[in-house]
Amino acid sequence: MDALPPIDLDAAATTRLAPSARAVLVAALDEGWGNPSSRHARGTRARAAIDEARRRVARAVGADVDGVCFTSGGTEANGLAVLGAARARAARCGQRPRVLFGPDEHACVRRSAARLAEEGFEVLALPVDASGALDLEAADALLDERTALVSCMLVNNEVGRIHPVAALARRVRARAPHAHVHTDAVQALGKLELDLEELGVDSLAVSAHKVHGPQGAGALVLRTGSVLQPLSHGGRQEHGLRPGTEAAPLLAAFGVAATEADREQPAFEELAGQLRTHLLERLPEDCKPLEVPESVASICALQLPGPPAEVWQHHLEARGVCIGVGSACSSGSRELSPTLAGLGLDAAAGRQVARLSFARTTTLAEIDTATAALAEVDRELGALRG
Amino acid sequence: MSHPEPDLLLVRYAELALKGGNRARFEGTLVHNLREALDPIGPYEIRRAWGRVVIVPERRKRQALRIVARTFGVKSVSPAWRLEPDVDALAALGRRLLDEQLGPGARAQQGAAVPGFRVRVKRADKSFPQPSGELERRVADAMLEGEERVRVELREPDLEYGIDVRPEGTFAFLERVPGPGGLPVGTLGRGLCLLSGGIDSPVAAWLGMKRGLRVGFVTFHSPPYLGEGSRRKVEELVRVLAGWQGPSRLHEVPFTDVQVAIRDGAPEGLRTILYRRSMARIATRLAALEKAEALITGESVGQVASQTLPNLATIEDAAGLPVLRPLVTADKEEAIALARRIGTFGVSTQPEPDCCTVFQPRRPALASDAAVCARVEAEIELGPLEDAALDGVSTRRVLA
Repeated sequence: MDALPPIDLDAAATTRLAPSARAVLVAALDEGWGNPSSRHARGTRARAAIDEARRRVARAVGADVDGVCFTSGGTEANGLAVLGAARARAARCGQRPRVLFGPDEHACVRRSAARLAEEGFEVLALPVDASGALDLEAADALLDERTALVSCMLVNNEVGRIHPVAALARRVRARAPHAHVHTDAVQALGKLELDLEELGVDSLAVSAHKVHGPQGAGALVLRTGSVLQPLSHGGRQEHGLRPGTEAAPLLAAFGVAATEADREQPAFEELAGQLRTHLLERLPEDCKPLEVPESVASICALQLPGPPAEVWQHHLEARGVCIGVGSACSSGSRELSPTLAGLGLDAAAGRQVARLSFARTTTLAEIDTATAALAEVDRELGALRG
Repeated sequence: MSHPEPDLLLVRYAELALKGGNRARFEGTLVHNLREALDPIGPYEIRRAWGRVVIVPERRKRQALRIVARTFGVKSVSPAWRLEPDVDALAALGRRLLDEQLGPGARAQQGAAVPGFRVRVKRADKSFPQPSGELERRVADAMLEGEERVRVELREPDLEYGIDVRPEGTFAFLERVPGPGGLPVGTLGRGLCLLSGGIDSPVAAWLGMKRGLRVGFVTFHSPPYLGEGSRRKVEELVRVLAGWQGPSRLHEVPFTDVQVAIRDGAPEGLRTILYRRSMARIATRLAALEKAEALITGESVGQVASQTLPNLATIEDAAGLPVLRPLVTADKEEAIALARRIGTFGVSTQPEPDCCTVFQPRRPALASDAAVCARVEAEIELGPLEDAALDGVSTRRVLA
């Protein structure tokens, strides 16, 4: 097999398993493989590992330990929140309950919302201003007794935009007494300080593999007293919200990764700022960063000249550098994402957008290599353009 | 986050302010306990000032506030802002805090009561030009112009915008999160709590902590009649309680041999009483190691057969220390309500047997006599078995 490119600037897609999380995962696969519902010692051991992970995840997002519902990842957590909360509230919200979702949600929220539209909910996007930012005052007009759910992501996965979720949640509370407020915080864990109470939301979704944990683990973290309808039925695991034998080894590793993501968050914020500045100072002139006023430093979207960004992606990987093109989850689709449309890009310009995103392990030297590679590719593709 | 964070947390003490000569020691213990609880969340400053504790966390301010609000000895805590003693600045902050509390531009809900509101100025800096009353009026006037969400209520306000004018600076706050009250853990010595997996004993331990005791825990385990689940349940309970008092010690006594000897050698009706007397003796000996000056149990008069007055006396006869029973006159509902507040109820109601239920007699005696019990204990030679149980104790430190 060919060697993989050594430099990964696609951390928003996934991150390398941290040594600490890997050690816990491997040990649990070898020794902690009991069924957590069994009452013998092996089962009890696995249960204790999950409880420990639950405490860790709760602490990393400032929530009660009982509020953590483990899932297979961010998509399942978001789907459970959107579908489960809207359906549980439908009866209280009149003939045609309303669901509001953010302007640039991940497909797992958008498509869950579309499913609710088929079920008879009125599904609307939250209004934005000319820069693509949420227009909170305009949102007020959509908030009333009929509103069953408001879902808005905290950090956008494509361009890193930070949405004012806390302010939105306060407005929802003041006007829409039955509404469940959910935020997709998959890209926020480890990048912002997360606190469920401070955000004022009813639930947030997080995922292990975005913070150096394993793929296949995530959580929906709920405020005490939130009522949801489960999406599947069976045993009473995860308060009956997510039946099925828990993936104890993955969850144990997630717990360790979540603790580290929270502990390292201030340091990572600083590092990401340095990496971003370093990158922007060394970019070839015709590679333009997209202007997003409020965004995390660790996600940097660029509009690249000439051919679609995917061509750049392959040229760069030949030089040892992986970058992202669009959101990995919707790759394959040729549509312009709502995020890029919100920034005023058309479909052709949208295809030129690449995403460079940093992990805790990214170094300034890797940025040097990457910018040198970008310059080389720019010259090569520029020569082709004539 | 999108709204500016508070600069500091203002912590008000509960009754320790009243405790005269011990005050400095109590304050010192409170600050020590707060430090221990706050250390895991990152850097912060903490100091004593003007009869308060002032905490300046660098991050996770909301979490710091929740931690402070569950520290014994704390009466209440407010996120506070430091600003210039200027009417416009104070009013602007006040309006923003009202927005956060009530929702921005919210209209009063139909039928809902309009909350009463007042501004309260405390002025320790007498060099400040305006008298307190005048500053209160001017800030309130500036804040409340066109404001329909609150009404002025000077006697019993639902919301109070507090302003402390101090030589060190001016501090303003709206939210007051109540603490648990009581006395700082450790100021009044140590207790050793006999912990089963039930609802009452964790509540009893918590009430002991509330009165300033540092509580250690002892549990009696009877493998293989009981499984790992029972041990884990007790450890979980200690973990929840460690969230209130800090890292806690749990002693686990291997109790099977003692129980089997009682089951096989003693009159059936006395079994539960004899188990409990044995536990009291073992706990008394462990208490010496813990430097605990009292045992704490979840017993309540008349709740079960072993808790009639004569039986409580028979059990107490075996203890060499005062037995504190904070729930002695509590109804089950009262204990349950407290357990919910403490956070132990969910763990206590997990279906795991404990070591008393496994060997339960069919018909327990409602009255017993200490002398009779002592005779039976001598006959079945419990002493060496209790020595062996003590030798086999395993102890661990449980963190929240």
